[in-house]
Amino acid sequence: MKRQRLTPYLLLLPGLFPIVAFMSLVVGMAVSQSIGYFNFAGDDRFSLEFWEGMLSQNQFWRVFWYSARIAILSSLISVMLAYPVALWLRRPFPGSDLISAMIKAPLLVHGLVAAFLFVNFISFQGFLNVALVKLGLIDRPIRMQNDSYAIGVVILQVWKNMPLAFLVITGSVRAIGDDILDAARDLGAGSLARLRRVILPLTLRALQAALILIFIGAAGDWSFQVVAGPTNIQSMAQFMHRVQSDNAAHGWNEAAVVAVMLMALSLFGSLTLAGLMQLIVRRMGR
Amino acid sequence: MTTLSRSTLFWQRQLLILLALAVFFVALVLPFCMAVLWSLVDPSTPWAYPAVLPPVLSLRRWVEIWTTSALPQAMYNSYTLAACVSILTLLLAMPTAYAFGRMEFPGKAVAQMLTLVPLILPGFVSAIFFSALLIELGLYSRFLGILIGHTVGLLPYAIRLLSVSFSMVRQDLIDAARDLGASRMVVFRTAYLPVLKPGLLAALIIVFILSIEEFAISYIVGAPDFTTVPTILYSYLGYNFIRPNAAAVSLILVVPNVLLMLIAERLLKSADPAVMTGKG
Repeated sequence: MKRQRLTPYLLLLPGLFPIVAFMSLVVGMAVSQSIGYFNFAGDDRFSLEFWEGMLSQNQFWRVFWYSARIAILSSLISVMLAYPVALWLRRPFPGSDLISAMIKAPLLVHGLVAAFLFVNFISFQGFLNVALVKLGLIDRPIRMQNDSYAIGVVILQVWKNMPLAFLVITGSVRAIGDDILDAARDLGAGSLARLRRVILPLTLRALQAALILIFIGAAGDWSFQVVAGPTNIQSMAQFMHRVQSDNAAHGWNEAAVVAVMLMALSLFGSLTLAGLMQLIVRRMGR
Repeated sequence: MTTLSRSTLFWQRQLLILLALAVFFVALVLPFCMAVLWSLVDPSTPWAYPAVLPPVLSLRRWVEIWTTSALPQAMYNSYTLAACVSILTLLLAMPTAYAFGRMEFPGKAVAQMLTLVPLILPGFVSAIFFSALLIELGLYSRFLGILIGHTVGLLPYAIRLLSVSFSMVRQDLIDAARDLGASRMVVFRTAYLPVLKPGLLAALIIVFILSIEEFAISYIVGAPDFTTVPTILYSYLGYNFIRPNAAAVSLILVVPNVLLMLIAERLLKSADPAVMTGKG
């Protein structure tokens, strides 16, 4: 009897234990290196100097807010584009399967490939410039690559993440029963009222899940930033990697501070965004 | 009145479908066509402004990349690694997926949440501090390091996919086989395997693809001498942007994975137990 009760937990071991061990060791490593332990140079001792040093740098805060901005913009735009499309495709019609498949296609394209395709498309010799010149809209090709507003990075993030948002939202939009919508209609709710009071509240969880997933991915982005991002500022992941490899003696410790701050940004930023979304949906439902 | 609004609705829908096709064409088809063209630019005559199309097309770039760059080695690394990762991941995921798919026990929801943690940790944080951990442990084999990193990172996917497969095995078939005196092995073969097989294959393919595509751990742990296909692609995108090479490697990275993914999707669709057992 006792053995039987233990069985499920023993079965969990091979799959769950590696995950829990790996994650706690990796996060533990980052946290302890940020406060002076597991030093590769010098003795281990508790110290907050790396935190003080990093948090007093203007450059760090520029990088932090830059990543936060990219993450907010990318997750909001992706969800805002995916939501109406998911609603449109709620009930199947001729051609709707084809459209779903087309929307999901970017999920199969590697991030670095997407970045390459994009840079190639907008480059000096790229299709966009040639098309604009041939159409007579511009006299000669313009430089669009690595724009300093990071428009390219946001476009890439949306391109790659809108399908993800679409997948997450479609599931919950399709789960809304027709009877609920019919009931709302019978009670005199117009299409806007149905959206505000029935559809949005019922899909809130999916909206939040999509926002959180995309926010975390975009806040920790490295590839899009390195290939297509502005050259005058770095993303958190890029900054962390550079600090780790450039600053010889205490590179690891300083990078660890950036890592902990990136984890904090991912966690609190995404949760704040999800909370705000809940507030907005509630207010609209009134 | 109703017929009029129905026909406007019809035209509205057609217009939206056309718009979707146009967006798809500009956002995906065109960029890929450009990549194919760039990979076919002949090295002797560069494709430069204002030429709309490359002046000379040839396969010489492909031959050159294959014979002079580290690409064959990177492909060998990527594919052996992915094969090991997918088998190891599946072996580790099976028992856990069985527990999630077929058992009820206290703490199940928490355990399921915990398996998803690797998905929310920023990739470069886990890559960089995993490499710190490897230094601390004195583990210097790059292959082994990446193998461990990929396996742990991809376990959540395998556990999730296989849990669904296990939960679709029908209890009445298991009971029937047992009542007829079947041994454990025979029960597994007749009741479990037919339902599990598509899910297993799909999980194997998906983990394989995700391992090939993984960049952060391969790049950080593998640097500088262990290359995989994505790290090679990155080297062509960095400071020395070599466009034709990047185009060719992009295609090598995307095309096989898309084909494999289509197979995986078909397998998952076929995994409906009603189809397999002939019962609704």
